[in-house]
Amino acid sequence: MPQANNSNSNTRSGSYSEESTEKVIKLDKFQVEAIEAVLRGQNVLVAAPTGTGKTLIAEKLAEKVLGEGKGLVYTSPLKALSNQKYSDFKKMFGEQRVGLVTGDITINGDAPLTVMTTEIFRNKCFEDVEDLNDIAYVVFDEIHYLDDPHRGTAWEEAILFAPPHVKILGLSATVPNVREMAIWIGEVRNCDVVVVEEKKRAVPLEIKWISPDNRVLSKSKAKRLVKKLCSKTDDDGQYKFGERKKHNYQKKR
Amino acid sequence: MARAFKDPSEVIDAIEEHLPALYFVFGRAKAEELAVELGKKWDFLYREEKEQVYKIIEDAEAQNPDMFLHRERIVLKRLLLKGIGYHHAGLSPALKRLVERLYESRLIWVLFCTETFAAGVNFPAASAVFESCRKWDGREFRQLLNREFFQMAGRAGRRGFDEKGYVFIQISDKYPEETGFFKESEVEMVHGRLTISPNTVLSLLRWKSDEEIEHFLKNNFSVFQKRRQLEEINQQIIEIKKTIKDLEQNFCNEQHSVSCPLIRKKLKKELRRLKSRRYRQQPGSQTRIRELEKLLASLKKKKCKEVKCFDAARNIRDLNNKLDFLLYKKKQREYEVEQYTTEFFRMRDLLESLGYVKGRTFYPRGKFALYLHIQEIFVTELVFSGLIEDIPSDVAAGILAGVDYTPGRREYVQPPPYDVDFVNELRARLMQMGVPEEFLVWSPVPGYIAYAWYNGKDFEHLMQNSNLQEGDIVSIIRREIDLLRQMEKASVENPLLLEKLRGIRRALDRDQVKVMF
Repeated sequence: MPQANNSNSNTRSGSYSEESTEKVIKLDKFQVEAIEAVLRGQNVLVAAPTGTGKTLIAEKLAEKVLGEGKGLVYTSPLKALSNQKYSDFKKMFGEQRVGLVTGDITINGDAPLTVMTTEIFRNKCFEDVEDLNDIAYVVFDEIHYLDDPHRGTAWEEAILFAPPHVKILGLSATVPNVREMAIWIGEVRNCDVVVVEEKKRAVPLEIKWISPDNRVLSKSKAKRLVKKLCSKTDDDGQYKFGERKKHNYQKKR
Repeated sequence: MARAFKDPSEVIDAIEEHLPALYFVFGRAKAEELAVELGKKWDFLYREEKEQVYKIIEDAEAQNPDMFLHRERIVLKRLLLKGIGYHHAGLSPALKRLVERLYESRLIWVLFCTETFAAGVNFPAASAVFESCRKWDGREFRQLLNREFFQMAGRAGRRGFDEKGYVFIQISDKYPEETGFFKESEVEMVHGRLTISPNTVLSLLRWKSDEEIEHFLKNNFSVFQKRRQLEEINQQIIEIKKTIKDLEQNFCNEQHSVSCPLIRKKLKKELRRLKSRRYRQQPGSQTRIRELEKLLASLKKKKCKEVKCFDAARNIRDLNNKLDFLLYKKKQREYEVEQYTTEFFRMRDLLESLGYVKGRTFYPRGKFALYLHIQEIFVTELVFSGLIEDIPSDVAAGILAGVDYTPGRREYVQPPPYDVDFVNELRARLMQMGVPEEFLVWSPVPGYIAYAWYNGKDFEHLMQNSNLQEGDIVSIIRREIDLLRQMEKASVENPLLLEKLRGIRRALDRDQVKVMF
């Protein structure tokens, strides 16, 4: 019911920044689905838009894994993200149980819940496999970084060589071929991978354009304006980059 | 004075009901300029809020007394008191943290920021503004991918606060053709991007079985995708072949005889060609002409009731063209599927020729490079040439800062007081030995930063002797610390070197450069 929802969110407004840690929030269907799957111990790939609460799934999983006395590795693509996740987890699970390992810092590296950059996890899969003996799950945040031309290798090597007993929870932005990724992970790791997809945003986006004279335009109006502006720059002395050069050159001669 | 950008305050006027806003800008200087410009016309904060901001800033300054002193960051302080901020990689970690904190406390109403902010801070605003939709990706300026755009745009819309997240894309009157029109339904696929680095090959040889290596080379995501494409192509080929066969049913049993109109048409065409001015003088032409004329005269043209074989013949011709294209594509994919295996062995050969490994036997260089993850060959050679052990620690700190570093165009750092010729000589020698340049990336530019920092100079000194921003300096040192840690792990068998590297690292990891939580 929308009303109930509204009043609920109003009471939360004061502590907005702690949204993800709050226990009372109503879970979305895809979150429930994904959480149930990881709690059953399955490999899961979640694809959902930014800001829909994918992290919450990882947090529920961490709770369970730590409760069973096992370990969890949380990998993220950026150092800044790793640091932030480390701080968040510390608040949630206590300083003792949380660690951080990036290229240039190690804090409590043997903790059951360690946040790492993906590269560090990849290295462990080669150099220190025994470090991963007690790890039940690895979470790949932003797993679509697989597509990064410079760094994607680390994700591939990590997925291919994470020890077989380690389960995977992959969190991805919306991409059209999540299922293909899942089939691949299932094939190379010889396991089943559950795909949970959410296409809808928590808050829908409304995209508008702003004209050079600061009017807010709809898409069709914006397209018309762009067309008009483009034809204008073509014939009224406003040269585009390449043309300007040519023009200067001719003048010099 | 002509401005290189548009006044942001007018844009903010237009979207006033949708604040706070993240204002995405691609370029540090631009983020700063726009913030200053907006500050001339707007002040978003009430008095009590200003006091709150003031208090948060004071607390931060108590921990980092000089955080606003460098590069006129004092301007940022004044902006923050008006509810305006900027955030980019050039800021010191302390300043970045402060800006993030104020933003998350809802005390910043317009934040000019770069893409990293959207990725790193998981906190929404009411709207997102795109000053431009083009970004520098390390090589060139290009349009944002749909995926990148929606990752950033997705920061608009606060759950439980806003019914919609508003996204505004500015149309530039100078470059209107660069205006972005993005579609969520056209978000790009994820592709496998595996590359075979020296470390990958060493790690595989050291820790993985032959089957595992094969698995890696044959089943990585890129190959997996290529194989799926290959399957699809094969399927198409089968279907086309079947269609062709079906179409051939349309021909009567006279299809190979000269009486068939189709054959006659073909022969007549050849005849016409041979009779043309260009061909008729050529040797053999006349004989063939006579032969063709005789052939055509030998039988009468068949009168066909149905002419479906005409269409069929045309279709078959089209399909055969398509088939040729598919077969070509198939060959290409088959080659690409094998590509990783080829690259693996090429890299192994290079490592063998440099004396790192022989088969699966590891020599000292190989054992060392095994623990390095950037510029592994160059760093290994630097160590094994004895240079790192021979030179003083401060010089070593300076040299290592340049590993894998590519300076920006306008970047200036005071030249270091030591000689770097020996490093360049080493690189030249390695290049002669067949090491590709991409494995020898090094620059003398950041040298002085690490050299002076090692020698205990303060942060302000580094700022004064370069045109780098605080964030760049911190990043140079943190990267070196990362490298030193890898090298330490690699040099367990050389306690002297290990001690030296650890000494450098400890001297570098201090004060403003230290990671704080």
